[in-house]
Amino acid sequence: MATASVLNGDGSALPIRVSEFGKSYGKVVAVREASLDVVKGEMYGLIGPDGAGKSTLMKSIAGVLAYDAGSIEVFGQKVDSEESAELIKSRIGLMPQGLGLNLSPDLSIEENIDYFARVRLVPPSELEARKDRFLKMTRLDSFRNRPMKNLSGGMKQKLGLICSLIHLPELIILDEPTTGVDPVSRRDFWAILSELSRAEGMTALISTAYMEEALRFDRVSLMHEGRFLASGTPEELVGLVPGTMVELRCPNQIEALGVLREYYAQVEPRGEWVRLLADTADRDKAKSEAISFLPPDLQPTEVRTWDPDLEDVFIALLRQREQTEGEATSAAGTVETYAALPEEQMERTAIEAMELTRIFGSFTAVDHVTFQVKQGEIFGLLGANGAGKSTCIKMLTGILPPSSGEGQVSGADMRFAGQEIKERIGYVSQAFSLYIDLTVLENIMLYAGIYGVPKDLRPERAEWVLNVAGLSGRGDAKVASLPMGLRQRLSLGCALVHQPSTLFLDEPTSGVDPVGRRQFWDILYRLSRVHNVAILFTTHYMSEAESCDHIVLMFAGRVVADAPPESLEDNIENQVGHLLEFRTSDPPNALGLVTSIFPEALAYGSRIRLISSDPTGDEQRIREILTEHGIQVLSVTPKPISMEEVFVHTVTSLERESEKAKGAA
Amino acid sequence: MSLMNVWKNWASRLSVMTYKEILQFLRDPILMLILVYAFILGVRNAGTSVSMQIEHAPIAFIDNDRSNTSREVIYSFQEPWFSPYGVISGPREGQRLLDSGKVMAVLDIPPQFEESLMRGDPESIQLQLDTSNSSIAEIVEGYASQVMAPLGQTFGLKSLGISSSSSSLPPGIIDAHRIWFNPNVLDSWFQSVCQLIQVITMLALLLPAAAMVREKERGTIEQLTVSPLSPLQIILPKVISMTLAIIIGCCLSLFIVIGPMFHVPMKGSLLLFFVITAIYVFSMTGIGVFIASISRNLAQVGLLSIMLLTPMIYLSGKFTPPEAMPGALLAVMYIQPTYYYLNIVFGILLKGAGVQILWLQILIMIALGSVIFIAAMRRFKRQMG
Repeated sequence: MATASVLNGDGSALPIRVSEFGKSYGKVVAVREASLDVVKGEMYGLIGPDGAGKSTLMKSIAGVLAYDAGSIEVFGQKVDSEESAELIKSRIGLMPQGLGLNLSPDLSIEENIDYFARVRLVPPSELEARKDRFLKMTRLDSFRNRPMKNLSGGMKQKLGLICSLIHLPELIILDEPTTGVDPVSRRDFWAILSELSRAEGMTALISTAYMEEALRFDRVSLMHEGRFLASGTPEELVGLVPGTMVELRCPNQIEALGVLREYYAQVEPRGEWVRLLADTADRDKAKSEAISFLPPDLQPTEVRTWDPDLEDVFIALLRQREQTEGEATSAAGTVETYAALPEEQMERTAIEAMELTRIFGSFTAVDHVTFQVKQGEIFGLLGANGAGKSTCIKMLTGILPPSSGEGQVSGADMRFAGQEIKERIGYVSQAFSLYIDLTVLENIMLYAGIYGVPKDLRPERAEWVLNVAGLSGRGDAKVASLPMGLRQRLSLGCALVHQPSTLFLDEPTSGVDPVGRRQFWDILYRLSRVHNVAILFTTHYMSEAESCDHIVLMFAGRVVADAPPESLEDNIENQVGHLLEFRTSDPPNALGLVTSIFPEALAYGSRIRLISSDPTGDEQRIREILTEHGIQVLSVTPKPISMEEVFVHTVTSLERESEKAKGAA
Repeated sequence: MSLMNVWKNWASRLSVMTYKEILQFLRDPILMLILVYAFILGVRNAGTSVSMQIEHAPIAFIDNDRSNTSREVIYSFQEPWFSPYGVISGPREGQRLLDSGKVMAVLDIPPQFEESLMRGDPESIQLQLDTSNSSIAEIVEGYASQVMAPLGQTFGLKSLGISSSSSSLPPGIIDAHRIWFNPNVLDSWFQSVCQLIQVITMLALLLPAAAMVREKERGTIEQLTVSPLSPLQIILPKVISMTLAIIIGCCLSLFIVIGPMFHVPMKGSLLLFFVITAIYVFSMTGIGVFIASISRNLAQVGLLSIMLLTPMIYLSGKFTPPEAMPGALLAVMYIQPTYYYLNIVFGILLKGAGVQILWLQILIMIALGSVIFIAAMRRFKRQMG
């Protein structure tokens, strides 16, 4: 499927054929010279940060946005006017960006589906069966009568997907369907899509800001600032940047970072490791080279190597383009001076929750939660949408009084000293919450005033914040003119203006591109490693969760896991098994066969992944059943268990348990 | 921390937040446009074109007498008060004209009108009025009485054999009017000042509510709630900056329109006027904060404000004298600050009254405003918690 022909295998017209597409909004060029062919039954991904032009391209293909240049053909029909777009609309489904924007908040799940079915003229005889099937696949069937407005973000998004699929479109176009959605809901989401593409031959065009989702697609295009950086299968893309990821555990992480940055273009901290991209595919050479650059006092205690993943490739491709075109995105600055903690507080517990509980009416949002965050620690608070993370943060930041339990933040008791806590912490929320009609500097000065930075210190401190956020010299720019990544860095800068010793970051990187996210993390590492700042972090990006020092996983208001990410991964490996990836000659049929014996198996593009407690035995069983049906197994690769698997496995098994308990009661 | 420091911190937070509000206000061109329009053009238009004086009321006549006297009566209905439609055939056509709205009044003169008068018998004539708009009809009726009264008197005197020009009039009360405060009974004085009050009321309600709900809509409120700002420190800067904007608007209105264009005397202390206006705006913003606390978006703020503003303006005493209100509504009128503000402003601008006369009204207004503001703050605090 790597090389697209003009026609599908059966001679029919391609679902999507875009050539030399271009679209501008006034002077701003959204997309230029984009060309794209999508073959029937394919899952095609558009991957890129906010503002890369994904939405523009998708809306034009769906026939809801006029464009300036090039041509679009959908099922052989030119889409160039409202009339021509009408001709193909019955064959496609579109889900716009945003959580549940196409749904009616006051209608129940079932009523929403029925409404879409009637608009799409689905025969009532088929509707019931289809509805049951979709609701079961997305595990929404027990909530049929719940009004949409009372659903969690992930459930809304799954319902939105069902509504867009209820007329079984031949082509489905989904614009960032998984942004802000937790990993478990994302998994349900992908399950229903791969099932439909397998069973009905449905074609899908999907955009995402999560690089780790790229592996789910048959083919992807990486987009950046309105251009295609590269297109192909995930394997082909990874092959574009031959190299090795080397991870080193060094005595002084920050110093090692500084040294290695002089030799390598792509170096970043990850957990306790320093991670770098070496440009040789020879692993041993890459390893020894990296070690040779380090002075004796920084020699690593441990070294490991990996193949680069897609995110590394994306960043490398961007870097290459910037070098050739002389474009430079402003890098985040350094955090030189910081109000140091008194010696005796360096080792203290910065955030402590003890048996924290919050009850709303008859609903227990947070149920006896206990955890500790030390100074200098990056602490990840994970959980599905609605697991109680936000309520926890609200209680700890003194906004919401707890029903019972206690806690302290930066040495202040949360039950009595809400005001002190607010003065001592910095906070960045998932929604951008600075003033876009003010300039960068005006925002900084406002927060400097609110947090009581002395007047004579403010100009100097503002300069420092500009430097930290990588916005030096742009103080007079209106915030409205900044891209997403820079805005979030400014948010962080504003939260640091009083140099707090504790930071609360609630999904601060949602929708930020990989480059922006890495620069954001760079600042966080410096704050925690050099200045001993405690950071409590929530995210739905599991690759970010891996960068945390310590993880607490919440489920239904309770803490269900509390350990560093690596030991969580090891635990799953010891208790549940190893992750295997299969490549086969006939992916759609192979998936059906494998799921018949391993219901947990998932499609990742043309590959199948499953967790197995008995890798050799299970591999044998799968090889047998596939060869029996004439399907060749091309390769079987063991993959490291990642936080994604930890999260999904832990949460789904708990969900099953609680359902069983309900069934028993 | 010493008390002095606590206070300095508090004041510093208030001042940076107020500066932010002013910046945001200045950066919003639509808001500036509305301010300039409402305070300058809006007040000017109200003063020049809104008038309670009826002119050119169309009137038709049924003349069953066709005598000199009946013609004399008909010719007494003249421009500019009336616009004579002409003599029509009879009651049927009169009814038709009233139904279709072509005339507002039909005057019916009976047969033998002149003859009876000559005989010295009393005679009546009939005026039919379109009272679908009762207040206009009442004014027209007033005009008609004013036209008919001297005529009736002349006939009455004639029948007694006394000429109306004679110096020996019979005993009677001579009704001599002295008009105070607005000697030429200019509607423009009343209307322009009323419009100013209306604009102040509207903006005092809408501007802070809009500024509050904008923070909600854009999510910026979240960052403020986790900051060490108290609810009062979030609300007060909005109130202060919007009050400032409204006071500047008032200056524009007074010194560009109401003074130079309409020559309203502005007899009392302008300082007192501005202080009172600031206090009034403050109490109105309480209602604005309340609206913002129950609204999720700007559309809801707009609709709720319209719903509240209409009765507030109708019950301010502008359209309806309190003496004419039924008991329950009178109570509503007495508990809303707009009523007192209207009285105070007219007292200052037209009558030249000072604190020694207005103190009670001022005190009541301040008391009502404080109650509203405190209630709204409590609600806002609960919501933030």
